Amino acid sequence: MVSERRIARSPIKPVPPVKMMHGWEVSARRSSRALRITDATPLAKTLVRAPADGGAAQLFDVPLGHAARNETGVLVSTAAPGEWWLIGAPQADPSKAIEIESVERPELVSLLDLTHERAAVRLTGGTAHKLLEKVCAINLSEQVTPNGAALRSSVARVVTDIVRDDSNGERSYLLHFERSYGQYLFDALLDAGREFSVDVDGFVPPGI
Amino acid sequence: MRSTATRAKSMRLGPQPGEVIDREQQFTFTWNDKRYSAYSGDTIVSALSAAGERIFSRSFKYHRPRGVLTASYLDPNCILQVGDEPNVRGAHRRVTPGLAVRSQNTWPSLRFDVKAANQSIARFLPAGFYYKTFIKPQRLWPAYESVLRRFAAGGTVSAAARHGYFDKRYVHPDVIVAGGGPAGMAAALAAAELGAQVVLVEEEHELGGHLKWGDHEELQILDALRAEVDAASNVEVMLDSVVTGRYDGNWVSVLQRHLPHAVERLVKARAKSLVVAAGLIERPYVFEGNDIPGVMLSTAVRRLINLYAVKPGERAVVFTANSEGDAAVRDLQRAGVEVARVVDARRGNHIMRARGGRGLHSVDCDDGQRVRCDLLVTAVGWTAPTSLLNMAGDRPIYNQSAARFFPSELPDDVLATGGIVGDGTLDQLIDHGRATGRVAVRRAAVVADALCAATPQCREPEKAPGALVSVHESLPELPIDEHPALFRAATHGIVDYSEDVTSKDLFGAVEEGYDSIELVKRYTTATMGPAQGKLETVNVAAVVAEATDCPIEEIGTTVWRSPYSPVTLGALAGRTFEPVRFSPMQPWHERHGASPLVAGQWIRPDHYGDAAAEARNVRTNVGLIDVTPLGKFDLRGPDVPHLLNLLYVNKWSKLEVGAVRYGVMCAEDGVVFDDGVTGRLGEDHYVMTATSSGADAVWEWIENWLQTERPDWRVHATPVTSAYASINVAGPKSRELLLRVAEGIDLSPHTFPYMRVRSARIADIDDCFMWRIGFTGELSYEIHVPAAYGMFVWETLMETGEDLGVRPFGVEAQRILRLEKGHLIVGQDTDGLTKAYAAGLSWAIKLDKDDFAGKPELVWQSTREDYFRLVGLQPLDESLVPAEGSQIIDDDGSIAGRITSSRMSPALDRSICLGQVAPHLSAAGTTVTVKLPDGSRMPATVTTQHAHFDPEGARLRG
Repeated sequence: MVSERRIARSPIKPVPPVKMMHGWEVSARRSSRALRITDATPLAKTLVRAPADGGAAQLFDVPLGHAARNETGVLVSTAAPGEWWLIGAPQADPSKAIEIESVERPELVSLLDLTHERAAVRLTGGTAHKLLEKVCAINLSEQVTPNGAALRSSVARVVTDIVRDDSNGERSYLLHFERSYGQYLFDALLDAGREFSVDVDGFVPPGI
Repeated sequence: MRSTATRAKSMRLGPQPGEVIDREQQFTFTWNDKRYSAYSGDTIVSALSAAGERIFSRSFKYHRPRGVLTASYLDPNCILQVGDEPNVRGAHRRVTPGLAVRSQNTWPSLRFDVKAANQSIARFLPAGFYYKTFIKPQRLWPAYESVLRRFAAGGTVSAAARHGYFDKRYVHPDVIVAGGGPAGMAAALAAAELGAQVVLVEEEHELGGHLKWGDHEELQILDALRAEVDAASNVEVMLDSVVTGRYDGNWVSVLQRHLPHAVERLVKARAKSLVVAAGLIERPYVFEGNDIPGVMLSTAVRRLINLYAVKPGERAVVFTANSEGDAAVRDLQRAGVEVARVVDARRGNHIMRARGGRGLHSVDCDDGQRVRCDLLVTAVGWTAPTSLLNMAGDRPIYNQSAARFFPSELPDDVLATGGIVGDGTLDQLIDHGRATGRVAVRRAAVVADALCAATPQCREPEKAPGALVSVHESLPELPIDEHPALFRAATHGIVDYSEDVTSKDLFGAVEEGYDSIELVKRYTTATMGPAQGKLETVNVAAVVAEATDCPIEEIGTTVWRSPYSPVTLGALAGRTFEPVRFSPMQPWHERHGASPLVAGQWIRPDHYGDAAAEARNVRTNVGLIDVTPLGKFDLRGPDVPHLLNLLYVNKWSKLEVGAVRYGVMCAEDGVVFDDGVTGRLGEDHYVMTATSSGADAVWEWIENWLQTERPDWRVHATPVTSAYASINVAGPKSRELLLRVAEGIDLSPHTFPYMRVRSARIADIDDCFMWRIGFTGELSYEIHVPAAYGMFVWETLMETGEDLGVRPFGVEAQRILRLEKGHLIVGQDTDGLTKAYAAGLSWAIKLDKDDFAGKPELVWQSTREDYFRLVGLQPLDESLVPAEGSQIIDDDGSIAGRITSSRMSPALDRSICLGQVAPHLSAAGTTVTVKLPDGSRMPATVTTQHAHFDPEGARLRG
């Protein structure tokens, strides 16, 4: 009886209609507007910490400030030295896609499942960077933050990892940040995006 | 000719080639409660002028009637109140349907203003009079203030005004062009052609600069330039916007006005190159009567006629020294204005004074002729608005033959083009603009390459789409035309229209010893008005030069500082981002009537209606409190014990797997910094907790030590505060409740004793952990579940424990319960001077450790006795709850301590406290005197220990 009602919830209240997806309560709303915002919190998120220039770094082969997908579709990003975020589909274990055991000891490697520690939001559309320009001081031009750029900055005064992860030829950014700020930051992004008619688009798996 | 201040006759002309009004859209608005009509595109002043109005304001000090002077944003005589918005630039703000416009600072009306009586005592009100008056007697200062307030200029601010939406934005263009005239547009286009991202900022509602009121050929060129700009996808045009400042590193602020979604937006731009193409501002002429309604600049007349189809008068005298004045003559004649006389300064002719009251009625020329007229047009020269260049470090140089200032030396990332650097034909100006745009791109490319090299995310320049193309380009010279030096006639007149400062005032200031332009400015307030010197700086310099018998180039100008034009506080504040943090159970708390407590960025439930009842329920049954904000850190690595030993005063090397220990953290001065419990979950895996308010500081503290002092230690400390929903289940029935939901864990007391941690599956949720600890003094467990399931687990506990009397309890009840148990709160029962021994924590301090943060100070403290102590206190009057912060005073009345925590105890049905007291008052049984905020005094007794309830701890160890 208990497990039937077991619901994983995002810190961001889902916009109706609501449905269950992989045990998560998500918005089933679909939008075809030019600029869309999606609560991507159900994504699985693993943090790997290891020396910045050690075996783990060679294993991931993603240079600092960049993000790339590996052969299994897991998005590997590194916005700070010695930290790699592995982001995968909900309920998956992204770390399984990486042979972390192959890293030689005694290099200290820590794997933390921080799926629940982070909220995540995706902004997609031609004006996604214009929305972000209102809440983030980073240079979002093609030259400085092209597709595949990963960085950490302040977004509406919340420390946020920003990954430029274009989707189907559309400019797209995946933001992830400490979960407790989830509703606040989502609301701040909606407010900033009002000028560009941003619309909420529900989470569609795999979402990454 | 009798001049009338207003006319019944419309002054609207037929269609003009370059007009900006839309005659298909007509609507009404009010001016001082009287209805007027306007076309879309009209400014407030153009619409009123078309209706025959000539007076729009009263001057600052003398309340002289004032009319159109420049018909632009800078017009000092057209500052009006629009609804609840004061100080609106009436010659720039466009009319919208239903707008309610009023004059400012007039009483009882604009037409008849009592304060104009100031003119009769003008000799007592010269510039700087307030430095000599309103000083004594001091007791009359309140009276002086109330009088002066009535004469303060400016509009009114309503406390009920609705807050508008003010926005912010960050941009990083390659080139910013400040000024959308022909040279500015050319620069923007040239830069865009080379791949630059360009922002073109224009103060007016349309691009074009002086071309907008030009002849047919100029209008055609304007149309072509505008079409090119429209087609350039990498040029972002910001109309009705102004570059307000240029700061180090080409950080540039731009104020955008009247956006569809926002009142204003402050754009913070980091430009690789800044091109200043601000054009020229026409300068007024100083002479007697130069502020009488009907005296206008030539550009004002040309704007009114060509842009707004408004006839500025019926019979005009034109005083001209340049081609703009000549063009104004042609425009006037075309508009049907009788040009009674053209006084040409180039032929040595001058005007002496204007005559009139509410309106101009005649002009005296230097040859003795008095000409009847209702319009006097002056065209005596230009001022280069070099403010932005000055902010970049330039000091302008005066050119005598041109009678104006020019920029001299600019940094690499700032260029200037157009009228601000020279004259020439329109083609020459456009060519110069294009060349400047290309040079701007060349310089921007250098900056872009350097930025790219320093940024790991950056794509290599040659691979970036739309990369900048750097070309070799040099700037052509623009010719500089000669111009008569015309600043002041043989009579005195207004120099600063906004501040009512006359040339006589300036002479007076110099006579009093204020003989530099900086001193004159500050003494007279000349150039300190809304125009910020753009209309009057050069005239001030010229008059001071005349008064001091020095050349203008020696007098110089004052220093322009940002903002270039006034900025609203709303724009500076913009969007106020104040992050708020919520627990996963927040929706439940709200639904059940929790009173919110703002705890830093967190919103927590303070109570659910009756904190005392909540506390009693914890003592009797079982309560749940949401402690998610508790700081939590995941510590991994073989050197974690070393870190714990360093950060805490107590010992950690022998902490077993499954054990929990309370730790006290001190700063290097021995002051208690934070506290919490740390549990060992595995061989090299620990979880540390910190106070919710101290969590961020503790993380910085940890990383500071690891990164700077001990980078050799193999430790990863990761904040996981938000990863877990944390719930404290407390009360005699807490074990019974958890037995119903926990799996894979033996909760019996001997298997899971006090101060232990276990991993568990709770309510079908894996990856939880639970420790048996408590802050309340009852049997209690703190469970940490993956945050997404927090609400689910909380609701499950509430449902499952209904028959056990489970109730939520908030922060207030928790404070009562912990105080009954004598548990201190860092930052409440300790302060910035409380070292660990003073907090009664000697039992935790292990001075035999090799080293730890704060050890030297604590070693020193351990040898002394002269520090305040934290003690338990109980007022003799059990019903009295002294306010926290109440002082404890000694026999001689000196302060000997304070109450740090104080509550009524539901368990004991009496008041209880913690407090810091002087050592000689700290012995158990001592009676101290507490001074309450109302000055009364009450006795209280020092207790044997901090705990007032169950001091042996039998309840929590059960």
